Amino acid sequence: MLETVSLSDLTSILPQEQIMIEEENDHPLGNSGYITVFPQTEEEIQGILEYAGEHDKKIAIQGSGSKRGFGGQTDKADILLSLSKYKGIVEHTVGNMTITVKAGTTFHELQTYLAQHQQRVSLDPAWPEHATIGGIVASNESGPKRLGYGSSRDVVIGLRLVYPDGSIIRSGGKVVKNVAGYDMNKLFIGSMGTLGVVSEVVLKLRPLAKYESLVLLTFPDGNLETVRLFANSLLESVLEPVALELLNPALSEKLTGNKVYTLAISFEDVENAVHYQEEFVKRISPSQTHMEILQQEKAHAFWERFCILKPNGIQSSAEPETTVTVKISVTNLDVLQVLKESDLLQDSHNLVIHGHGGLGHGLCQVILEGTGDDILRAITYLRQFAESLNGYLIVTHLPFALRQQISVWGNQPSYFYLLEGIKAKVDPKRILNHKRFVGGI
Amino acid sequence: MGLKGLKTKDKHIKNLAKIVGDRSILYHKEDLLAYDCDGFTIHKHLPKAVVFPKDTLEVSHLVKYCSDNGLPFLARGAGTGLSGGAIPINGEVVISLVKMKKLLSVDYENRRAVVEPGFVNLKLTNSISEKGYYYAPDPSSQYCCTIGGNVAENAGGAHCLKYGVTTNHILGLEVVLPNGEIIEIGNNGVPDVPGYDLLGLITGSEGTLGIVTKITVRILKNPEAKQTVLAYFDDVSDGSHAVSDIISAGIVPAALEMMDKTAIEGVEAAAFPVGHPRDIEALLLIEVDGISAGIDEQISQILDVCKNRNVREVKVAEDEAERARWWANRKTGFGAMGAISPDYLVQDGVIPRSRLPEVLNRIKQISEESGLRIANIFHAGDGNLHPLVLFDARIPGQTDLAIEAGSACLQACADVGGTITGEHGVGIEKKEEMRFVFTDEEIQAQTAIREVFNPENLLNAGKLFPSPGRCAEVKKEMKEAAL
Repeated sequence: MLETVSLSDLTSILPQEQIMIEEENDHPLGNSGYITVFPQTEEEIQGILEYAGEHDKKIAIQGSGSKRGFGGQTDKADILLSLSKYKGIVEHTVGNMTITVKAGTTFHELQTYLAQHQQRVSLDPAWPEHATIGGIVASNESGPKRLGYGSSRDVVIGLRLVYPDGSIIRSGGKVVKNVAGYDMNKLFIGSMGTLGVVSEVVLKLRPLAKYESLVLLTFPDGNLETVRLFANSLLESVLEPVALELLNPALSEKLTGNKVYTLAISFEDVENAVHYQEEFVKRISPSQTHMEILQQEKAHAFWERFCILKPNGIQSSAEPETTVTVKISVTNLDVLQVLKESDLLQDSHNLVIHGHGGLGHGLCQVILEGTGDDILRAITYLRQFAESLNGYLIVTHLPFALRQQISVWGNQPSYFYLLEGIKAKVDPKRILNHKRFVGGI
Repeated sequence: MGLKGLKTKDKHIKNLAKIVGDRSILYHKEDLLAYDCDGFTIHKHLPKAVVFPKDTLEVSHLVKYCSDNGLPFLARGAGTGLSGGAIPINGEVVISLVKMKKLLSVDYENRRAVVEPGFVNLKLTNSISEKGYYYAPDPSSQYCCTIGGNVAENAGGAHCLKYGVTTNHILGLEVVLPNGEIIEIGNNGVPDVPGYDLLGLITGSEGTLGIVTKITVRILKNPEAKQTVLAYFDDVSDGSHAVSDIISAGIVPAALEMMDKTAIEGVEAAAFPVGHPRDIEALLLIEVDGISAGIDEQISQILDVCKNRNVREVKVAEDEAERARWWANRKTGFGAMGAISPDYLVQDGVIPRSRLPEVLNRIKQISEESGLRIANIFHAGDGNLHPLVLFDARIPGQTDLAIEAGSACLQACADVGGTITGEHGVGIEKKEEMRFVFTDEEIQAQTAIREVFNPENLLNAGKLFPSPGRCAEVKKEMKEAAL
């Protein structure tokens, strides 16, 4: 098994019990390693990277493994570096509303800790019990409440990374406003671990919402023009929804029992302001719609179920049917067309498709279930459709065998040489997450 | 056109004039004097020429010409920058973008607008306010600074506590790279374009990675309601604690500003006095906005916080006119120092909010040690301090003393885990202070990125990063060892 990395070399870097030799068959999602290491200190991470640099080894980086199916042209790297044991709060000063946390901390652990102080990180990623903060930032993951609170680029104020040569590089800082030097945080967010191993993340916090409710507005006649007109009037109004997410009928049935297009409209504010906005929605909603309001815990519970819908890389299924996720980005209301089009694919491509998209932010998540060939054809079709709307499709969860047959990231931009140039400067030996990102970076 | 109007033998000037036309180039010394500095007036240097392109293509041709001929060049907007980012310290060809000042389009349905870089910040809000929209980043110089310059500096403002700084509102850019190539990044607001986030990287790069020639910005719907509170304190630390208490109460104010006694003396002596008592030690200007049904509750909480912190007087603005007076008084605060001091130097450190009282004390010490008065006007909510060092440049040595005092204030910010600039940029002013917050490796990691975009370093060279220190020191040591 150990063709490429010498165990004794690694035991000089970290204790043997933090090293695991891969005995299993190939993982269906790829992105694994001949040997897995679980560093518990930053020095250990540095040691592993220095070792890889000296011996020309490739490293795959992983948090919990929930995004194992996201990108990558490598079945097994020489070393799989897992940050799942590198976790914990480093620094939290309540009054500053900022926190420094190690990359392997799960989102759930982080939020649970912060909730004791009436604070939170205002992101809503999938699989919070698995997803690590490092992975969320590296993959730039966001959820429906991005409309109200933005994404990683709006909440990450600092990062501490181990660069491919083993040096420690900090970007940003611990304060909420900072223009000292280049905004290197932006470069690392969403870079899929191709530039460095995120060691610590510094986040700007928000107070917990004083009150929350969720308005579920169903459109039984399936007329998306009605949805568009309503969404427009809502966005034109003074209301401040933190989510305005359209669910396709299949997804709506799963979550609410109603197989119709449903708008999930979230409000978070002081209680008076939340109820005021619910009443406002009642007044402007079209006559043929039906409205249900979930308050507080019930709203919470809805979003909790919502965020575990997507397949994740930890449940490795041996089922013959494949489940795949794509993320489609378009301009705000074009989400309607994307969801409509993906719905139509269900019959033409023999697939089950659950989809949702934010009418205020333009991101859709579409989950496709079916056979590999049908899925690949559907992805190609949807990508063309997204591109016809001047948007993009990237595949965020796909078995390794299928990733070899289709581009995860789509076309390269005209300025690709700049991206390539950045990678070449930072990681000239291509040690980290080789070929996991756009254009084989 | 033609070259008959040009009185120069310099072939570069002639060739640059061919690109923009004779009327769009300045090269006589007396014309160039206005461009020898920006809002940071301590260092001055004459440019080689100033050119005024009218469109992206002309910018591209100018850049290509400079690049091919090894001429240093830089971009300039309104010249309001406070850190010297647009000062032609290498005798640059200054590419002024003031002629590219159109509002190209507004898309209300998708809440975005496209502007040219020379478009003035406040004009955007003024152009869309009738429909109930505004552009959020509001630097104090917004009545004259350009959005192109805001992008270069990642400008902030009083209201970024709740709404974020420029980078949070930029959706797309057209950029002329240092080799003259024109690229589009960000795709006008389609989120999460695959690839490294060049939009985020270029915003705030102080004009060292490319020249921005078109900008897509997010526009926001006006909040339903807005209320502004003014609170006077007899003790600075009571004011500082009130700031923390407001945030700890779970309120996210749209703005939370503070001024100390010296600053109040300045603004009351200047053009927009509002009658603040002269004997108070600190004032807070607090604004809350959002859904009307939720505002009163937050205001009453804020009033309670202030009372618990021994406020002398606290009041809520009665109408828009009063609110506007308070803000005019605050936003002209820097310039107001001219009323009480011949010269002033403004600094821009940021600290974790909880360290406010101790850093204010340290600044007081620095003032006493240097013998110079230091006024404080700042964005207290996000810990962004603006110590204004008052001095008289006619007195020999005072300018240097002021620079030293300013730098000491930044050191104080860095010492408590803060940073050296929150919104004004590093420019040439704070290059060396970059070492207060970054290691040599970290600075190198940043210059490595610059090399990808700007390999010849002809675009705005000598800004943002300290001159390489360690290598020089190592070499010197080796030399000494050899002797």
